[in-house]
Amino acid sequence: MIPRRLEGWLFAPGDPRRLAAVRIGLGGLLAARLASGPYPELATQPPALFRPISFLRLLDRMPSPEAVAALQALALAAAVLATVGLLTRVTLPLAWLAALPLVAMTSSLGKVVHNDVLLLLCLVPLLPSPAGAAWSLDARQRPAAGRGPAFGWPVRTAMVVVAGAYCFSGLAKLLHAGPAWVTGGNLRWVLYAASDTQPHPNPYALFVADRPLLAHLVAAATLAVELGFPLVLWRPRLAWLLIPAVLAMHAGIGLTMHLNYWAMAATVLVVLVDWPALADRLRPTGRGEVPGPVPAEERR
Amino acid sequence: MQVTSPAGRDTPDPAPAPRWARWFVAVYLGLFVLCGVAGFEAWPLTGWRLFADARQARQPGFQAVTVDGAGRETPVPFRDLPAGYHGDVQVLKGFAGLTATRQAAVCQAWAAAVRDRGGEVAEVRIYQTVTDVSRRAGDRGTPPERTLRFTCRPGRPG
Repeated sequence: MIPRRLEGWLFAPGDPRRLAAVRIGLGGLLAARLASGPYPELATQPPALFRPISFLRLLDRMPSPEAVAALQALALAAAVLATVGLLTRVTLPLAWLAALPLVAMTSSLGKVVHNDVLLLLCLVPLLPSPAGAAWSLDARQRPAAGRGPAFGWPVRTAMVVVAGAYCFSGLAKLLHAGPAWVTGGNLRWVLYAASDTQPHPNPYALFVADRPLLAHLVAAATLAVELGFPLVLWRPRLAWLLIPAVLAMHAGIGLTMHLNYWAMAATVLVVLVDWPALADRLRPTGRGEVPGPVPAEERR
Repeated sequence: MQVTSPAGRDTPDPAPAPRWARWFVAVYLGLFVLCGVAGFEAWPLTGWRLFADARQARQPGFQAVTVDGAGRETPVPFRDLPAGYHGDVQVLKGFAGLTATRQAAVCQAWAAAVRDRGGEVAEVRIYQTVTDVSRRAGDRGTPPERTLRFTCRPGRPG
């Protein structure tokens, strides 16, 4: 089913606080996206412009404004409750299910919008998990949970999804464009085109596009970071290099192309940083325990 | 119990996670990897094609403009229209493949949106363009070569 070594890592016991941190982070992120998404505007789209994706192909136009308002309220309320950990076993799946058609609407303009996809996919392994066992309102009524197998695999599956997303993104570049993605003028032309479509020339895009060697270097670095991102699973210390690199990549895309991938970048941070270990490091317990590298997946 | 990375030499025996969890993870990651490697779009599973194509300096495209009663052309300000109108690139790319009725409905939708902003629309024209982004005039690209492909005269509702 799964290679034995990978299985041993995926299903090893985990810290319920780590799972809770991912629930809080992703739940909060989902709530923020649901609160600020363009769903009411999309609901008023003329039917002729509707380019449905996935299950929205069952419809001949965007869902009605009334349906969207109800769905958005339900999804947002459920996401907030899941974030604080109230009835988590119900509210987290409910938030995900209600958010799904809303996010699908944003990709029903003719092009897949990947911004929220990573967030949705990382939430999937949490849906059947005991994500409310710690740092939640649910947990206040129960004895504190210790490390166990139920708390490890949801987080590690989400980590594989994050690593895979970037790796497959790099792979797609290699498969569709080949080495020309780096060695050709590709990035320069992308950046010139991006600058030209903005109301004012973009100095950051032009700075790179005007310098062919720099453009090749940026393209090569982008491809290397994307293809190499799964190394963060094998060598957790590489998180210190790869996570800032990915954040810098998203910041660069934002600066040069005005494409906002902050939800994707935030998902990376939430899933790959070991927040309980960071908290322990910032607030030593005095028990003589030496925490491992903070972004690492687990402490030894 | 010691926890290691997948590369760890002392990877312990699999912990006793429930059988359903193993199947769940196997199926989920299997589908995720299949879509990622093969480039399938089964949303929310995706092929992760982000900027995957190598762009050339000469870039084909389309431009939609409205024409007022005096014959003046104004590009349809898609970025300033509501979010539902932001799929213009994809709609324009597939415009030729739409039925005549659907083409007219698209033109009508764009004209109505421009009129709602106070614009005058006697006609909508769609140009096929080729932009050579390597030809620069200062900080801007030179205007594209344009070929008129479609003209529609959207009526006023009611």
